Amino acid sequence: MNTTRRHLSRPWKLALVALATVWTQTANAHHSFGKFDMGKLTTLSGTVREFTWANPHTWLIVIVKRANGTTEQWALVGSSPNMMSRWGWNAADIKVGDKVVVDVHPGRDGTPIGSLQTVFLTNGKVLADPAGSTGQALAGGPGHLPTKPQGQPYK
Amino acid sequence: MIDMAAPRRKTSAFRLRGYAACALGALVLIAAPALAQDTAVPRTAEQQAQSWQEIARLPDFWQGTWQSISPIADDFSTTPDYTASAQAYIKQYKPAEDSPFTNCKPLGMPFVQNIGGMPMKFFQTPGMVAIYIESSGMTRFIHTDGRTHSEQPNPTYLGESIGHWEGDTFVVDTTGIAPDTVFQLGRDQRALAQGDHSPIAGVIFGPHGPNLRLVERMHLVDFNTLEIQTTLYDDTVFKQPYALPARRFLRGIERRNEPQEWACTDNRDYLDPVTGKLELNVKDKAQNH
Repeated sequence: MNTTRRHLSRPWKLALVALATVWTQTANAHHSFGKFDMGKLTTLSGTVREFTWANPHTWLIVIVKRANGTTEQWALVGSSPNMMSRWGWNAADIKVGDKVVVDVHPGRDGTPIGSLQTVFLTNGKVLADPAGSTGQALAGGPGHLPTKPQGQPYK
Repeated sequence: MIDMAAPRRKTSAFRLRGYAACALGALVLIAAPALAQDTAVPRTAEQQAQSWQEIARLPDFWQGTWQSISPIADDFSTTPDYTASAQAYIKQYKPAEDSPFTNCKPLGMPFVQNIGGMPMKFFQTPGMVAIYIESSGMTRFIHTDGRTHSEQPNPTYLGESIGHWEGDTFVVDTTGIAPDTVFQLGRDQRALAQGDHSPIAGVIFGPHGPNLRLVERMHLVDFNTLEIQTTLYDDTVFKQPYALPARRFLRGIERRNEPQEWACTDNRDYLDPVTGKLELNVKDKAQNH
């Protein structure tokens, strides 16, 4: 959280506080996401190994190459297809082998798991995960989307 | 029933003669009265048109869908008048790390309507109001034909619901809720005070009694806002019926708000029954691909 916040401008700090607040309202239906550090945002760059469009959750498995030459497999959980489709996602948006940049809330325990926040595709499409949004935002659709990753780059 | 039986009797009579035909005829005559009490008489086209007319101008719950804008948990800010056994249960209650609904098992009434995330859709037809609850992929069938509850409804997650209109308020009475239905019987306010922001922080889930009965009052606050206030009747938990605060739902009429399928088939989260901790079984799944 601290490292991330140091690089953030005030509007983004406020946005994060707002996010933390709305999280109390209507988080994802099936678990509280307590395993993830919702205050921390990490940016992963990698190659898609699996994108599963299924209930209760979508899963994006990404192979990330680290600066030291090793690779890691990150398992990222999204909200459900229904919520995501209402925010403009399509099951065909992400395919195995695609290069993606993903902002995630990483696991608290240090293992390579995370909760999806935003996916940046090479074709310029930006997909925000609605998990944790208010009922108003879920019914109303996504608001302003970031144009570039907002997290702390993972190396 | 009658329509089905008549041609069969005719065909049989043609093939079989004498005693056999008589015996069959007698069988039909004996069976008919026993089945008669379950036999509904279809409405004529004229009567059906009239039935639709009668419900056409009811308050408009029907356009679009309804998205919950209330928190998932009921807050129980006024402490219920608990029975001794409920008090004992609450005293020893240890919250699991996460909700008891991390798996694909469907939720039931009333908590299924708390979850939100995905909308609900109301439908009506003469004699019935139906509510599709997308977050569990289940549909409630609320009878509005003036019937009374079954003497002993079979247990189901959504229960047996009977509704009637009191002016602009739709009142729904539900019984027959399955014993293993996730049930919130209270909330430990200390968890909230300690700054736990999980949407189910401090929620006390527990068993309900076999006679749990819900009375919901549903009405439109304005075109875009539906309010549902539920009162819990369960004398094994509450000495007095407990009136929950009203929950609100926001109407959406765009295409994105339309109902969608919910088929839960790919669960990777589970609560470890030994530790009570939430586990994500992602590694095995990914490696099996």
